[in-house]
Amino acid sequence: MNFSNLMPLLHTAELSLAEKGISSAKVILTGFVVVFAVLILLILIINLYSFIVSKALNNDKNKKKQKIVETKNTSPVPKPVTSKIPAQKVDDGVSEEVVAVISAAVASMYGYSEKAKIKSIKKSSGGRSAWANAGVLENTRPF
Amino acid sequence: MEILQGFMEAVQGIFKSSGILTLNWQNYVMIGVSIFLLYLAIKKQYEPLLLLPIAFGMLLVNLYPAIMAPPTTELLTAEQCAQQNVATSGHAATVINGITYYENPTYGGLFYYLYQGVKLGIYPPLIFLGIGCMTDFGPLISNPKSLILGAAAQIGIFITFTGAIFLGFTEAEAGAIGIIGGADGPTAIYVTTKLAPHLLGSIAIAAYSYMALVPIIQPPIMKALTTKKERSVVMEQLRPVSKLEKIMFPVIVVILIAIFLPDAAPLVGMLMLGNLFKESGVVDRIAKAAQNELMNIITIFLGTTVGATASGQNFLTWDTLKIIALGLIAFCMGTAFGVMFGKIMYKATGGKVNPLIGSAGVSAVPMAARVSQRVGQQENPGNFLLMHAMGPNVAGVIGSAVAAGVLLNVVG
Repeated sequence: MNFSNLMPLLHTAELSLAEKGISSAKVILTGFVVVFAVLILLILIINLYSFIVSKALNNDKNKKKQKIVETKNTSPVPKPVTSKIPAQKVDDGVSEEVVAVISAAVASMYGYSEKAKIKSIKKSSGGRSAWANAGVLENTRPF
Repeated sequence: MEILQGFMEAVQGIFKSSGILTLNWQNYVMIGVSIFLLYLAIKKQYEPLLLLPIAFGMLLVNLYPAIMAPPTTELLTAEQCAQQNVATSGHAATVINGITYYENPTYGGLFYYLYQGVKLGIYPPLIFLGIGCMTDFGPLISNPKSLILGAAAQIGIFITFTGAIFLGFTEAEAGAIGIIGGADGPTAIYVTTKLAPHLLGSIAIAAYSYMALVPIIQPPIMKALTTKKERSVVMEQLRPVSKLEKIMFPVIVVILIAIFLPDAAPLVGMLMLGNLFKESGVVDRIAKAAQNELMNIITIFLGTTVGATASGQNFLTWDTLKIIALGLIAFCMGTAFGVMFGKIMYKATGGKVNPLIGSAGVSAVPMAARVSQRVGQQENPGNFLLMHAMGPNVAGVIGSAVAAGVLLNVVG
C-alpha cells in the first residue's frame, strides 16, 4: 500500500503545529489590515463628502441671504401683503376660526416660500349617502 | 371482539411511534436545557424575542426529531405501492435485478423547509434590512473617527480564530467560531452557514447568549482597563448631520464595501438598503414593513429553526463546550481591544475622547452603547455618552460584516 496517497487526506484532517501557526498568522494579519483599511478609507470618504455637503449647503444659505438682502434693497417698504390677495369667497355659516385653521394648515403644508392661495371655502353640501357612509365605515373601522 | 383488537393494535401503534421509545438520553437532556432557556426568556427576559423561539425550536426538535428531517425518496415495488396506497403512475421507475421499483418521495419536516432560509443564507441579510431601517448613522457621520473603534473591536474575532485552530478545529470551523466575537447574531449565522453548517446550533446559541449577557460581561473589563479620570471625560456635543449626508451615507458605504469585499455585500448591501429606506423618507411604508412585519416574521423562522439545529446528538459534544468558551474569549477580547483603542484616541486627542465608548465597538446594537452610557454615569452622573457610543456601535455592525467578508474570503 502506498502511504503517500494518504498524506493529503491526513493533512486536511489535522493540521500540524507549524501549519496552524501559519494559518492563524495569515488570518490575523489579513483580518487586521483589511478591516482597518476599509474602515479608514470610509473615514476619509465620510470626511470628504461631509466637507463638500456642508460647503454646498453653506453656499445655498449664503445665496438665499443675499437674495433676501437684495429684495430688501429694491423694495425697502414692502406693501402690505393682504392688499395683493383678493378676498376669499367664504360661505355663510363658516366661522372665522375655521377659515384661520384652514389657512394655517395650508401654510404649514406648503411653507412660506411657496405661494398658496385659498380662493374659496365652501361647506360640503348634504353629506354622504347611506351607502357611501357604509363604505367609509367598512374601510376605516379598526381591525 | 374485533373492535377491541383493533383498538389494542391502534394503541400499540401509537405507543411504538411515540417519543418514549424513540428518544435517547441526549434528547431528554436537551429538553431540560430548552425548558431552562424558556425560563430565562420568560422570567428573566434575557433577549426574549430571540431566546423564546430558539428554546422552543430546541424543545420541539428533541421531542420530534423528524420535524427537521430532509425529504427522501424510497424505492417501492409495485406490490408495496399497492399495499401503501401509493400510485405507481407518475413516479419514476428503476429496474434493479429484474424487479421494478417506483421512486416514492416522502416530504421533509416542517422546520426542514423553514430552515432553508438559514441554510441558504437568506434570513440574516433580511434581518439586516430591518436593522438598517432602525439604525441612525448620524452619530457615526458626525464623528467618523469612531469607525476606528468599530474596527478595533473586531480584532477579537481573529485572535479567537487562532485559539480555535489550536484547539483542533479546522480553519473553516475556527472562522465561524471567531465571528462570535463580532457580537452580531445575523452575521454569526451567515458566516457559520457558509463555513461550518454543522456547528450552527452551538455558535448561534453562544452568540445570542453573550449578546444577552453584554451588561454583565463588559463593565468589569471596561473598568479594569481604564482610570477614573478617563472614565469621567465629558465629550463635546456632536454636530448636527444634514439630511443629504444621511442619504448619501448608505449609497457610498455600499459602493465602497461591495467593490472591495464582495463577500460582505449581501449583509452590508441589505443593511444599507434598509437605511436608505429610512433616510430617503420617500418609502415610509416599505421601511415600516421591513423593520416590523418582515423582521418579526423572519425572527420567528430564524429563531425556531436555529433552535431546532440543537438536537441532542449534535449539541451535546465537547465541541459545543469549546465553542462556548472560545465565544466568551472572543467577546471579551473584542471589548478589551475596543477600550484600548479608545484609550489611544483619548491620548491622541488630548483627553477629548472617553475610552468607554470603545467597548461599544462590538456590534450588539444598542445594548453595548447603553453599557458605555451606564458605566460612564457611574463616574459622573451628568455625563451622557449614549450618542457618542452609538457611533462606534453602528460602526461595529459594519466592521463585523467586513470581518465576515474577510473570513469568508480567506478560509471559505
